[in-house]
Amino acid sequence: MTGGPVRRIVAGVLARLKPFWTTFRSPAVHLSLGFLTLGGFIAGVIFWGGFNTAMEATNTEAFCTGCHEMRDNVYPELQQTIHFSNRSGVRAVCSDCHVPHDWTYKMGRKMQASKEVWGKIFGTIDTREEFLEHRLVLAKNEWARLKANDSRECRNCHQYDSMDLTRQSRRAAWIHQNYLGTGKNTCIDCHKGIAHQLPNMKGIPQG
Amino acid sequence: MQAWTPLLLAALVLCGCSKHEADKSRRAPSPAVTVTNPGQQIDAMRRGIPIDQEASPLPMARVENFDQRRPVNYEMQPPTIPHAIDNYQLTVNTNRCMLCHTRSNAAKFQAPPVSPAHYVTRDGQVLEQISTRRYFCVQCHVVQTDAPPLVANTFKGLEPEAEASPRAMP
Amino acid sequence: MASRRDLIRASAVGAAAAAAGLQLPVRPAGAAAPGATEGVKWSKAPCRFCGTGCGVAVGVKDGRVIATEGDPKAEVNRGLNCVKGYFLSKILYGSDRLTTPLLRKKDGRFAKDGAFTPVSWDEAFDVMAEQFKRVLKTQGGGGIGMAGSGQWTVWEGYAANKLMKAGFRSNHIDPNARHCMASAVQGFMRTFGADEPMGCYDDFEAADAFVLWGSNMAEMHPILWTRVTDRRLANPHVKVAVLSTFEHRSFDLADIPIIFKPQTDLVILNYIANHIIQSGRVNKTFVDRHVTFKQGNADIGYGLRADHPLEVKAKNAKDAGGGRPVTFEEFAAFVEPYTLDRAAEMSGVEKGWLKQLAELYADPKVKVMSLWTMGFNQHTRGTWANNMVYNIHLLTGKIATPGNSPFSLTGQPSACGTAREVGTFSHRLPADLVVTNPEHRRHAEEIWNVPHGVIVGKPGYHIVEQNRMLRDGKLSAYWVMANNNMQAAANLNEEGYPGYRNPTAFVVVSDPYPTVTAQAADLILPTAMWVEKEGAYGNAERRTQFWHQLVDAPGEARSDLWQLMEFSKRFTTDECWPAAILAANPSYRGKTLFQVLFANGKVDRFPASQVEAGYANDEAQAFGFYPQKGLFEEYAEFGRGHGHDLAPFDAYHQARGLRWPVVNGRETRWRYREGADPYVKRGAGFSFYGNKDGRAVIWALPYEPPPESPDAEYDLWLSTGRVLEHWHSGSMTMRVPELYKAFPSAVVFMNPADAAKRGLKRGDEVRVISRRGEMRSRVETRGRNRMPRGVIFVPWFDASQLINKTTLDATCPISKQTDFKKCAVKVVMA
Repeated sequence: MTGGPVRRIVAGVLARLKPFWTTFRSPAVHLSLGFLTLGGFIAGVIFWGGFNTAMEATNTEAFCTGCHEMRDNVYPELQQTIHFSNRSGVRAVCSDCHVPHDWTYKMGRKMQASKEVWGKIFGTIDTREEFLEHRLVLAKNEWARLKANDSRECRNCHQYDSMDLTRQSRRAAWIHQNYLGTGKNTCIDCHKGIAHQLPNMKGIPQG
Repeated sequence: MQAWTPLLLAALVLCGCSKHEADKSRRAPSPAVTVTNPGQQIDAMRRGIPIDQEASPLPMARVENFDQRRPVNYEMQPPTIPHAIDNYQLTVNTNRCMLCHTRSNAAKFQAPPVSPAHYVTRDGQVLEQISTRRYFCVQCHVVQTDAPPLVANTFKGLEPEAEASPRAMP
Repeated sequence: MASRRDLIRASAVGAAAAAAGLQLPVRPAGAAAPGATEGVKWSKAPCRFCGTGCGVAVGVKDGRVIATEGDPKAEVNRGLNCVKGYFLSKILYGSDRLTTPLLRKKDGRFAKDGAFTPVSWDEAFDVMAEQFKRVLKTQGGGGIGMAGSGQWTVWEGYAANKLMKAGFRSNHIDPNARHCMASAVQGFMRTFGADEPMGCYDDFEAADAFVLWGSNMAEMHPILWTRVTDRRLANPHVKVAVLSTFEHRSFDLADIPIIFKPQTDLVILNYIANHIIQSGRVNKTFVDRHVTFKQGNADIGYGLRADHPLEVKAKNAKDAGGGRPVTFEEFAAFVEPYTLDRAAEMSGVEKGWLKQLAELYADPKVKVMSLWTMGFNQHTRGTWANNMVYNIHLLTGKIATPGNSPFSLTGQPSACGTAREVGTFSHRLPADLVVTNPEHRRHAEEIWNVPHGVIVGKPGYHIVEQNRMLRDGKLSAYWVMANNNMQAAANLNEEGYPGYRNPTAFVVVSDPYPTVTAQAADLILPTAMWVEKEGAYGNAERRTQFWHQLVDAPGEARSDLWQLMEFSKRFTTDECWPAAILAANPSYRGKTLFQVLFANGKVDRFPASQVEAGYANDEAQAFGFYPQKGLFEEYAEFGRGHGHDLAPFDAYHQARGLRWPVVNGRETRWRYREGADPYVKRGAGFSFYGNKDGRAVIWALPYEPPPESPDAEYDLWLSTGRVLEHWHSGSMTMRVPELYKAFPSAVVFMNPADAAKRGLKRGDEVRVISRRGEMRSRVETRGRNRMPRGVIFVPWFDASQLINKTTLDATCPISKQTDFKKCAVKVVMA
């Protein structure tokens, strides 16, 4: 699902960088091969490390809530929920649920995110009013993604095999055993709105 | 090489991001303040604390979450909710309670279905779904915390729980 | 009644169930276990709690209330109750009910610093009369005061009003409804010249839009909220706008959610008026025929003590209610600066929401119901806010027709019926009469059958002033009935508590339970409550509802009515009235106040035998006549033929309430409109006959800042209020186990970021500190209220957490109602 777009975008970027690339690839005149090799290696490590650090930075709550659309709409909703504050202090930040942890999937999601940056710059959702208008579409996107990937981001933390059902309320245990354990349903089927307020759910199954 | 573009983009966007929150000063709570007023114990509701003094409030009570239906005192008394309802959304957009308590789903979720009275409109018409006047369940049905009452109550009802058979929620 | 009622409900639900294919329990409704209904007698009563006025069916067996249910025949609620109503039967049975008078005694005698000791009624009244006579001698009637209630029955309020204003010649009688409704009253009087709403609850089923101005109906008026919800969900075109300074449960139904900065509701109201004018949607025909314009005085102060710097500085503190006539053009120019930009900037609300809100009013096709309670009324510009919402309804002519309804909700079961209609305020007499008007006084004296000159022409101390005067030693004999003002009034530390404990003051508290107020008293009188006496309440839609005495009060507890009438026997006219009046009216000489006020040939004219068979009446038994009926019929003289017509006494025991004016046996649903109100002449269309010219007044009023705002040190707004499960100070609901366990303690609702900034977590013990005092509570960052940054909310139901130690006793200078929604505090870890 994500391999294609990534390659296309990278190719596009490379095309634009071509003039610089030409200079860049001309042989060095004054430097030794050893220096270049070692330097290249070090530079690679630095770039790679830097890239990952930067990528991780875009996964932090501070980054996400840097924009008022997030800070004023979805973040206050998260703060009221168990995914923000709970008995053991293990909590989820935005990216835990909304960004895949696996590198390939993550890159795909990040590319998609650039569309959201576009939205930010051009103000598709600038006010609460606009946010509420778009909430159904936004939510449907996330539900579809999680449904398609069998609630992969939920399962990064909540694995059925690790659930001690005897420690859940009887009602929850019974439902998990019959629907999650059997594979009949996936997490998002029943847990929509687990961290945010729901849009109008008319016609949308919730469990 | 492929790393460049996202790196640049990320670096650019990062510039606009705020720094970490200011340092939070945490300290251990002070010992609880207790005051008693043995000569004037006429208001158990103040736990014996004179009006012009302040003592530590009771600890925050916890919602009882054991899924066991509690007895009601009489027919039309709404049963209290025997489970936590944190983040069960109940808004114009969605009603989490009815996911389990609607008659068509109740058996599936082993939940008590709402009583037939909930299907009757203000004008006495009967609907397929619950009447919109009954939409906000928590106006009548409330959770119970583990806080022991400060004053006992000597009310005696009709004790309908003497019945053995389960019945619909009034 | 039992069998008929059961039958009606059983058949209605039975039919419902059959149609829905549901299986019903076979038992008749009202019966729990087979055989258990034997000997249960069902009777009607209004609910004891809020101003909605729901009807309940009360089941009594063996002298005890054993069940309460929503009354299916009650028009207000049609079988529904809120959680408080469903558990109503338990309020009688808290194990700490007061059953004997308690007097502070030391060495066998009354002592201000003594310990509470059980005494007989005789001893209690002996000591009390001695203290009241001491004050009569030294200070005259002006040294005697009474704090009454919107929870008094109609006749209790009426008897108290007579005893104070005609008996002791003191106008220092004021109800706790001052904290609740006074701004609404002044709003009505200034705009319409007559108190109480023109519309009624039928508007709920007719409106296209509902606007909640600072009201949280989902919790405070749950049954009316079911009617809003019903209308909104069953009719998709209907819109709900909710305005508040924080997000609460009513937002769960909101199409237009608006969180505004405290006090800027005034800006939004003027913006809407401006929007209506600018967009050419003024209903010119209506305005030309039925409206006049006035500009109100500005810079009117904050109702604090006269020597407070803010009062000294205020230009019009002495004439807060004054104003001058202006033209429509002048009004339009006055509101013109209140543009969308300015409104958005000052209120912090997105322009889109403001515009949507304004359009609800401006669009001539949308029928709008505006609803408010404490958000408007408990406001240092509360009277203005009331006037300003009428402005926008009057500009568009959206008034007094089904669904077009500016509707002031009430908080107490008889704020309207007793406090307002009976006129138990320090400036009022029954049926909108006032003590300052000599004609009104004369009229009241004639109905009361007392000499002219008995009623004092100067308004007495209002309830906020009463605490100040107790502290200053000007009020020295004080009777508190059916309220918990120590817990309820603002600035407990500086005014309330020092006032009650002032050695010069003798304070009597009548209550069913040992409240915080009782604890601060010198004498506590145990009081019968609700269905332990025959009663009448009047709800927010002008509906007067009666109930019978259904059970006996426990122990020595007696009703307020018995206490007032019995106590009046201990005073003679010579002790209370000036010699000149007695010289001119010698027939009154040497008579007791009881003889003059209650055995006056009117109040005592109905024999005890007229009490409906099958019901007890302790007061009729005690006095030998039917005092409730006599008092009611005398009281009704004030309103009959004057736009406040009440039906004959007995009619109310049959009906599920009637909305006044009741003319020729018919109630009135919409006042001021031809065809709906018998007082509007044919061809008039509308007539706002409370004003002499028949026109309502649109008031030009500005935004003015609150008296106290957060600063560097006291950096948070504090708002106080209620929660669904508890009613007011919790003296009844905290004793119902289910309600207590649902919400056992007050908490400080706080934004998570505000908490984090102070190093606080949910559940942490904190001190809430203002310039006036502090209290201890715990932090709540989750739950039903979602606070914006900079605002905290602390409910006041919890006797063990007295938030009114911190609140400011600033009032609307016109209505004298305290602003409990805005003062500056800081919150620190305990």
